[in-house]
Amino acid sequence: MKRLFCFLLVQLGILVHLGSLHVAKAAEDGEAFFERKIRPILVKHCYECHSDVNSEGGLLLDTRLGWRKGGDNGAAIVPGKPDDSLLIKAVRYQDENLAMPPKDAGGKLSADEIAALEEWVRIGAPDPRRTAMKLGGMNAEDAKSWWAFQPLPNADRERRGKIDAFIDRKLRKHSLTPVARADKRTLIRRATYDLTGLPPTPVEVDAFLADQSSNAFDKVVDRLLDSPQYGVRWGRHWLDVVRYADTAGENTDRPLPHAWRYRNWVFESFNQDKPFDEFIRLQLAGDLIRSGQSRERLNEGIIATGYLAIARRYGHDIDKRAYLMHEDVIDNLGKNLLGLTTGCSRCHDHKYDPITMEDYYALYGIFESTRFAFPGCEPKGQPRDLVPLLSQADIDAQMQTWNQQVARSKVEKKKLEKFAERLKGIDNNSLQQIMARTMVGEGATVPIKEFKITLRKGEVLQLSVFPNANHGADSTRIQWKIQEEGGQQRCWDIEDVISRIADGNPLAVGNGAMWCFFESTKAPAFLTNRHESLQDQSSLKAWKRTGDALSIFVNTSTQPVKVWTILPAKAFFVHPEHDRPVTVGFVSPIDGAVTISGAVTDVHPSGLDGISFELAHIASSQYGEALVEVGRRSSTPTIDPGPKPDIPVAYAVVDAKPVNARFQLRGDPEQLGEEVPRRWLSVFGSETLEAPEESGRRESADWIAENPLTARVIVNRIWQWHFGRGLVTTPNNFGSRGETPSHPELLDWLAAEFVANGYRVKEMHRLIMHTAAYQRSSQQTQQWLEVDPGNRLLGRFSRRRLSAEEIRDSLLQVSGQLDPIPAQAHPFPDESTWNFTQHNPFNAVYETNKRSAYLMVQRQRRHPFLALFDGADPNASTPARQTSTVPTQALYFLNDPFFHAQAAALADRLLELDDDNERIQRAYRILLQRDPTETERKIGRTFLQQYPAEVVEKWRAYARVLLASNEFIHVD
Amino acid sequence: MNKQNSTRRHFLQSSVAGSLLFPGIVQQLLADSGDPLAPREPHFPARAKNIIFLFMTGGVSHVDTFDPKPALTRDHGKEIKADHPEIKDRPGYERIYLKRPQWEFSPQGECGTEVSTLFPHVGRCMDDIAVIRSMHTSHSNHYNATLGIHTGSFAFARPSIGSWISYGLGTMNRNLPGFVVIAPKQTYAGTQVYANDFLPAPHQGTLVVPGAQPVANVAPRVPTDRQALELAALHDINQTHLASRGGNDPLLEARLRSFETAFGMQMAVPEAFDFSQETETTLDSYALKPGQTSGFGWQCLAARRLVERGVRFIELIDTGSSGNWDAHGDMMSHVGLAKNVDQPIAALIQDLKQRGLLDDTLVVWTTEFGRTPFNNTADAKGREHHSWAFSSWLAGGGVKGGIVHGTTDEHGMRAVEQPVHVHDLHATILHLMGFDHQRLTYRHAGRDYRLTDVEGRVVKELL
Repeated sequence: MKRLFCFLLVQLGILVHLGSLHVAKAAEDGEAFFERKIRPILVKHCYECHSDVNSEGGLLLDTRLGWRKGGDNGAAIVPGKPDDSLLIKAVRYQDENLAMPPKDAGGKLSADEIAALEEWVRIGAPDPRRTAMKLGGMNAEDAKSWWAFQPLPNADRERRGKIDAFIDRKLRKHSLTPVARADKRTLIRRATYDLTGLPPTPVEVDAFLADQSSNAFDKVVDRLLDSPQYGVRWGRHWLDVVRYADTAGENTDRPLPHAWRYRNWVFESFNQDKPFDEFIRLQLAGDLIRSGQSRERLNEGIIATGYLAIARRYGHDIDKRAYLMHEDVIDNLGKNLLGLTTGCSRCHDHKYDPITMEDYYALYGIFESTRFAFPGCEPKGQPRDLVPLLSQADIDAQMQTWNQQVARSKVEKKKLEKFAERLKGIDNNSLQQIMARTMVGEGATVPIKEFKITLRKGEVLQLSVFPNANHGADSTRIQWKIQEEGGQQRCWDIEDVISRIADGNPLAVGNGAMWCFFESTKAPAFLTNRHESLQDQSSLKAWKRTGDALSIFVNTSTQPVKVWTILPAKAFFVHPEHDRPVTVGFVSPIDGAVTISGAVTDVHPSGLDGISFELAHIASSQYGEALVEVGRRSSTPTIDPGPKPDIPVAYAVVDAKPVNARFQLRGDPEQLGEEVPRRWLSVFGSETLEAPEESGRRESADWIAENPLTARVIVNRIWQWHFGRGLVTTPNNFGSRGETPSHPELLDWLAAEFVANGYRVKEMHRLIMHTAAYQRSSQQTQQWLEVDPGNRLLGRFSRRRLSAEEIRDSLLQVSGQLDPIPAQAHPFPDESTWNFTQHNPFNAVYETNKRSAYLMVQRQRRHPFLALFDGADPNASTPARQTSTVPTQALYFLNDPFFHAQAAALADRLLELDDDNERIQRAYRILLQRDPTETERKIGRTFLQQYPAEVVEKWRAYARVLLASNEFIHVD
Repeated sequence: MNKQNSTRRHFLQSSVAGSLLFPGIVQQLLADSGDPLAPREPHFPARAKNIIFLFMTGGVSHVDTFDPKPALTRDHGKEIKADHPEIKDRPGYERIYLKRPQWEFSPQGECGTEVSTLFPHVGRCMDDIAVIRSMHTSHSNHYNATLGIHTGSFAFARPSIGSWISYGLGTMNRNLPGFVVIAPKQTYAGTQVYANDFLPAPHQGTLVVPGAQPVANVAPRVPTDRQALELAALHDINQTHLASRGGNDPLLEARLRSFETAFGMQMAVPEAFDFSQETETTLDSYALKPGQTSGFGWQCLAARRLVERGVRFIELIDTGSSGNWDAHGDMMSHVGLAKNVDQPIAALIQDLKQRGLLDDTLVVWTTEFGRTPFNNTADAKGREHHSWAFSSWLAGGGVKGGIVHGTTDEHGMRAVEQPVHVHDLHATILHLMGFDHQRLTYRHAGRDYRLTDVEGRVVKELL
């Protein structure tokens, strides 16, 4: 009996248990349904007006209690009865006065969404939401279950056909059959542009067409992934997202001469297929992660942090606007890596997503504990905090040698000055004036009167030209002849030096005579700076003092040259400075009598007061020898320290003193609130720093790299860069204001594969490009346009226009002008010459035949070509390029000089062939990778026949037509 | 063109009704592929159809031009105290003194609005002008204040007001850009002052530099008869291509058409800037000599001609980021700068009025900020940047003429009565163009942006 009782009890227990299990199972299904289908709809379409404090019409939809209680019109939902539920009536738009969501807030839901809501109400409206605890702009529970934050599924063992299965399932659901595979020519053109940003060459096309093996396309993909041009194309995608630029963006938009190292590192990383988690970690904390490793590896880590350093700078004094730079960093990091608009929480909690102001300042502290390279700004001109790429010991060694040389050369210089000063003593004692200070009026000529004098060998005649009182430089022509009386009747003429002035100073002129050119303010100071041209005129040669205009110069041309004034042909000039006379000295090679003659002319009449000159004889035979010695030593110093050693540096970051940030109330950096410890975002667990003595970048690199959201965001980008549109069409926003994925399971599957395969981007390319979806034709029927105009179902491939870079690179490639070698630094003006102000900011456009990803991109002034063809925004993350079609683009194809030049070069290539048919054929094969049709040949021949010009011009015109054609700048 | 567009739109709309697959996307597509420059209706009937935005770069002194301050003359040399952003922590500015205006003011027109002798010609137009003497702005740096008056943002790159207008209204003349900036040089903040930023690219400002070739690539590089042959061949090739692609790709078609427009622009642009048909009287009134292709008079006359040709937004910038109104050293530099613009601006208003265009055209005159009524010595010659108060004015386009709005205190330090912030000016301009500034928005990076951010109030008293 007892046993029976026990048995019954057990039986009953089981029964009871089974019953509750059943109920629990149904509830679980209901809640799963709610999580999967309903919560996202409510968050996305309803919460803006019906959650938290925003209870329009008294209705709250962010808790179960909310809809039970209902609003002004009563309970919103009657569980089990969709037709009686106000909410369902509203979303069905049954009643005009109760149509939700309203037209100006997104409008009617999709049929799928309405059906889901109906189903949910029908099964009793299961709803696990009990409280409405807020986390930033989201209910805390909603945040926890937000689709993008969920763990990734396990990776699949079997990958073959999986992607297509996801896509085909959805197509079948809409009763659609995908279009056929594209032909081989289309495929190779698509793949080559996709992976390298360049068109395939005719040879590559022929090889692919001839390859009949089943994996022929896979081989093409592998070949392209091995091309160094791959990294330029895919690295440029990354530069779009990180808003790369070559200038700082503050009020003077200063150049960043070292940012290129980061740009090139990005390109190389893609080429090396660097695992993407490492790629991210290095950009956030490469200097810390690689510390203690080999110099080469450490340098890579340092350069990678250029990602942080290229943050935009703001204002007049950058240091005073550092909080804006930090916002730019946090904003970009959020959008770029996490698909979250973290920057929105600077002044208040996020309005829609689970990010609090405290989260913002927790991250802020990490970057406030980081020292960013300083590009300089108007009040603080000198760049600082650039990170050297050599060890301190190596720098010291290089600098020590140089510093020693500098010190020695200074001593040498001092000695020389002393020596020259002694000359002045001789000069003072032996100087005899031949002509006292003589005025030459503005634009006038004054002759040197014929004068006979006896010289001894080594004595000096010197002619000094002075500016007059109130002005500086004036160009003065000197004609001066010294004629030997008797003896060999030798003649020395200053104009004899014109053709060989660049040979030296002092300048030997034969027969032992020497000409010397120097400044004679104090002791003779030789003009030691040789110039092979003046104002881009190579017929003008000069000797100057370092860095100023004080000079002598000649016009070597047989024609007058027009510069600041008209300089007569074959003439010798001096150009004194304010209070600084220039002297021409003649060292006599003979003992005997000479006759002096000549003239001094002001050749730059400018309404001032002319110049004056003196002619003197220094009657000391040691003087000439000593003067020549000073000249020799000045122009060829025995010790030359050379230019300062170029220590390679990176525009990068390192750790600074670790600090926690304080709240900036309403985003105002002057109103500081409580301190916020550095930590990770609360929605992801608020992890704190393991090493608070560092900035926290090392930890944040891990937090970000290991977050499943990061994997989802990047695989979505990779997908988008292949297909033109992401599975999530808002690639920078995976939060509640973003779009939900068109194929959620596919996105998760891709992310899981990506992680499981070691974050290899090239592997993702292979996976994606090997699918039927990628290889479909882009032919679209009217039906497709009607049913799926945006091609979200991927039943066909989306035709696209080439990007700005692709257009320019293609023009260069087909014209044979492309230089495929990577570029390095831009030809910025030397830092020592910078004097940029907000009145005169930096502004330049540099031409290059290298790939367009190497064009210099300025923040304050858009590059004219890139701006015209929808290039990336250098001020903010560009998640996807726009494609605009504006007539100014057509004007480019009609009249731009660069375009015309490429067309001309292409025409030259074609003209190497013998007849027009061959040329037309060749043009089509180079540009479009196919043979022309008969119609196209006819259009070509007729055009060439009718075009009223010489043959070269005809072909240039025809090249322009083809280069402007739609087929050339679109990819099927 | 219009018919074609409406057909396309209709087709897209019907496909929306038919599919309901992804209504959000279809809507976006409708917006994307629909012609972004097609003329559109504003929110409510507009007072003005076009804007001429006259921007005086560098910071015009309000107390020397449109804001008479007799008390400032009276109190010249008196020491004052002010917690002013420009002098904070600035060596040599520990003590500051009021500085008198250097030009006389007198009442003008029937309305009697006082204007200084720097603007005698504009003074004669005061019956058509509403002066705002209570303008103020958020920054006293050129870069930031210039960005602010153009985009409503004082730090970040955002779409320019001209881009917003183009986005809102589209264009009336497809052969000319809808938003034109005529400037001899770049002003502060560079191309950002007329950038579309996140708005679609067709709304970017087109720069016209006074001179022989005002728009880039608009001069045919080959004779037009030859170019016509090239375009014909291009058309044939593109048509063949389009047919081979099923004949129904809006992108390909749009690009095909854009060459026809471009060909037209090659005529229309030079024609708009060719003044040979203008009478000598007209040229004289703008202080222009026949054949002259530079100067502010040229810019003003070009603006009138562009208005006649349906261009929505024309900005004229008088100088560049240097050699402008930034008179730190000597206020006398205002003489030349005022002379440069005074007669041309007055001529523009008169000319628009005579041709019946002023009712539809809003003329806005402004600068980025004012100049300090004080300096660090009583006899300092210049004035510093002043964000607390400055003067702007509006004319035409539904604006009440002959009035003065708002006042500054007796020394012109602060806008005290009815202050008008830059955001309020923007809200008012949009209102005159038929827009509720809170509803002219664009969804970008997950949120709706507008010109006035979260600020802005329409100054009803001006209407």
